[in-house]
Amino acid sequence: MTSTEAAESVRPKISFYEDRRGILSWILTLDHKRIGLLYLIFVIGFFFSGVVLGFFMRLEMVAPGGRIMGPQTYNSLFTLHGIIMIFLVVIPAIPTIFGNFFLPIQIGARDVAFPRINLLSWWLYISGATIVFISVFTGGGPPDTGWTFYAPYSLRTTVNVPLAVFGVFILGMSSILTGINLVTTTHRLRAPGMTWKRLPLFVWGIYSTSWVQILATPVIGITMVLIFLDRFFGVGVFDPTKGGDPILYQHMFWIYSHPATYIMILPAMGIVSDVVPVFARKKIFGYTAIAVSGMAIAAVGSLVWGHHMFVSGQSDFADILFSLLTFLVAIPSAIKVFNWVATLHKGSIVIEPPLLFCLSFIFLFSIGGLTGLIQGALAPNVHLHDTYWIPAHFHYIIFGGMGFGLFAAFHYWFPKMFGRMYDRGRAVRAWVIMLIGFNIFYFSMLLLGWEGMPRRYYDYLPQFKTLHITATFGSWILIAGLIIMFANLFHGLFKGQKAEDNPWNGVTLEWQIPSPPPTENFEKIPAIQHGPHDFKELEKNG
Amino acid sequence: MDEVKAPAIEEAIDYTGAKLGMWLFILSELLLFGGMFILYAVHRYKSPGDFHHASTELDVFLGTLNTIILLTSSLSVAVSITAIQKGERRLSIVLLMVTMALGLLFLVNKGFEWTTKIGHGIYPNSPTLLARSKGEILFFGLYYVMTGLHGLHVLVGVCVLCVMLILIAKGKLTQMHFTPLENAGLYWHLVDIIWIFLYPLFYLIT
Amino acid sequence: MENGEERIHLLKYRTYVFVWFGLVCLTMLTYTVAVGIHPGGWAVLVALAIAGTKSSLVLTYFMHLKSEKPLIFKVIIPLVLAVFLVFILLTFSDVVFRGVVE
Repeated sequence: MTSTEAAESVRPKISFYEDRRGILSWILTLDHKRIGLLYLIFVIGFFFSGVVLGFFMRLEMVAPGGRIMGPQTYNSLFTLHGIIMIFLVVIPAIPTIFGNFFLPIQIGARDVAFPRINLLSWWLYISGATIVFISVFTGGGPPDTGWTFYAPYSLRTTVNVPLAVFGVFILGMSSILTGINLVTTTHRLRAPGMTWKRLPLFVWGIYSTSWVQILATPVIGITMVLIFLDRFFGVGVFDPTKGGDPILYQHMFWIYSHPATYIMILPAMGIVSDVVPVFARKKIFGYTAIAVSGMAIAAVGSLVWGHHMFVSGQSDFADILFSLLTFLVAIPSAIKVFNWVATLHKGSIVIEPPLLFCLSFIFLFSIGGLTGLIQGALAPNVHLHDTYWIPAHFHYIIFGGMGFGLFAAFHYWFPKMFGRMYDRGRAVRAWVIMLIGFNIFYFSMLLLGWEGMPRRYYDYLPQFKTLHITATFGSWILIAGLIIMFANLFHGLFKGQKAEDNPWNGVTLEWQIPSPPPTENFEKIPAIQHGPHDFKELEKNG
Repeated sequence: MDEVKAPAIEEAIDYTGAKLGMWLFILSELLLFGGMFILYAVHRYKSPGDFHHASTELDVFLGTLNTIILLTSSLSVAVSITAIQKGERRLSIVLLMVTMALGLLFLVNKGFEWTTKIGHGIYPNSPTLLARSKGEILFFGLYYVMTGLHGLHVLVGVCVLCVMLILIAKGKLTQMHFTPLENAGLYWHLVDIIWIFLYPLFYLIT
Repeated sequence: MENGEERIHLLKYRTYVFVWFGLVCLTMLTYTVAVGIHPGGWAVLVALAIAGTKSSLVLTYFMHLKSEKPLIFKVIIPLVLAVFLVFILLTFSDVVFRGVVE
């Protein structure tokens, strides 16, 4: 064996962790897998801080009147909880962690199209987060406007709105660059034979998401800039004293922020579409319908933003139009749910944590979607807007949907990323506890909203007391489940058993390479001959 | 010579991919400005008379001149790129310098316009402006924000072109490897296109 | 995807100059129409039509869309236009029908 041949046979055995060491080799890395993990660390960290904020919010709300904080603090808590959870966790999480780590591998590439831009995206993310955190401790204190920064209050309040919105602007830039990177990667770096119709559905999910990131994010970018400019220079576009229009602010804000909810959910749906077939040992039902419905959700979902503004003072005509469009966007979502269930039907079900998180995704997302339809109808919306119904709805969708989808991804791809396996029994127990706590918590909030409890209120009438106690109690169970889940994963990271390359018998490309993968992903770029859900082939070969 | 080979893959540069990335970035910039055009449209719809009246206070001559300047700079940068693709390095460098000079001239003119207006007390939150009708306050608010953001993009463009010029001079950008220059050109044309819309919407309201 | 065999079609310098001349003429046209002719209500539409034409020239020739692969590059601009149109039209569905005149 020549020395080159010897080197060749040794090289694939080095995982991307061992390739280079030291902190600089991580924070200045160009390896998409390392960048994915850098995001993972911080997204989880920010998630914990968001949960802590939520914990204290619920603690305060367990009884009427001031308990452990004053009203200003409460307003800042829910504002920060929203900013952190939305901009630092839910929007970036799946595309930047799993999109970065697995999209190139799933299409048979060695990295993304623009590795340096990828690193820049991460640094912008860190910078934006830092700016937001600094705004908490400077310039009058943390924003108290709600994460929505509605004008004219956001133009007048003396807290540090400018720095916070600047942070959001920077985070938006990070998101746009990630979108550009992943679209270009999907178009240009597919392996030979990897046609669009052979792509894993996770890739389709990330692809549709990336388009929304590119096209919608600039609008919130400019809106945040305008808030900033109005506070420093008094430009006036949203300021009624200067002829500006606060409802116009809401339009600009929601033109992004509604499609942003699809940035949150489409990747999670992509995960469910990848995971369910593996644990049903059956090809996905309706591959084309799922791929196309994702693009349809992205498209139609960009037309419905006015449903956040039914009672804002916008015209009746706009109300009716947006309500109609909102009902339309439910259709492609329902198609996905139907197809997932049809995939499970007559499949050989393998009960494992990734599947359980997907099953609860389907259940919780459906509740979220159905409550969405109720509030998407104009007459109920008049009563439900700005009540607890709304946060209950979106926590079902975002936390029950995207969050559980994220946890499914953690449990599915953990062995591939870390080469170890976590304790599956403990993961299932954590899941059960989370599911129980989640529903006690957020279903109580649905009821509270239905009864008229206003949201973002520091105090409330005694008639709401029982449901508030129940909700807070549910939040503690949920948090307990979260702690067990993360503790289990951390434990698996350091003390877990070594995992095989393909512990779940998956058929997508990431399962054909070592766990953890080498830096170059593939020894040789594979030639693809079929789609990613050919379980019959796998069963045939034993 | 009508055709050349695309740059080879020596550094694993995907020529089409690099252009695709740049075009996607351009799309995002178009929507960034698009957001402001939406605001403009709404406020002009609400106060057409005020917008017309305020527009007469802008210097149409300078606005038109600036339009011609940017169009010419687009010409010079486009030819500069074709020049380097044909291997005509010196022409490419000269034309890049012309583009940069025109860009700076644009900014100088803009500076004149702004300082004149500010000298007359017309700027966001000024007492003079606030005494006027709401439509006029908004016209000038949008004028400063939109031309200001555009001017910032012109400045960034000039800097980027400067970098390209240095790279060509150092031999790092050549007939075989010119993708960064082409992408810089795309960015410059974007800045031109935005002004093509800003010009009639602010200076030619009748 | 290998692109070693891609060929780039180069425009003649002359073509660029002709396009530039067209752009300058259109600029003169839009100025004349606005200042000289006073089209009144049609003013915005005419101005936008001329600006749109100028932009098409820049996109097609200066930005080389004419010689790009159709599938992605030629879809991109109509796509962004459609998105922008949708945003502005839906916003106007509110603004136009507000009912309160200020």
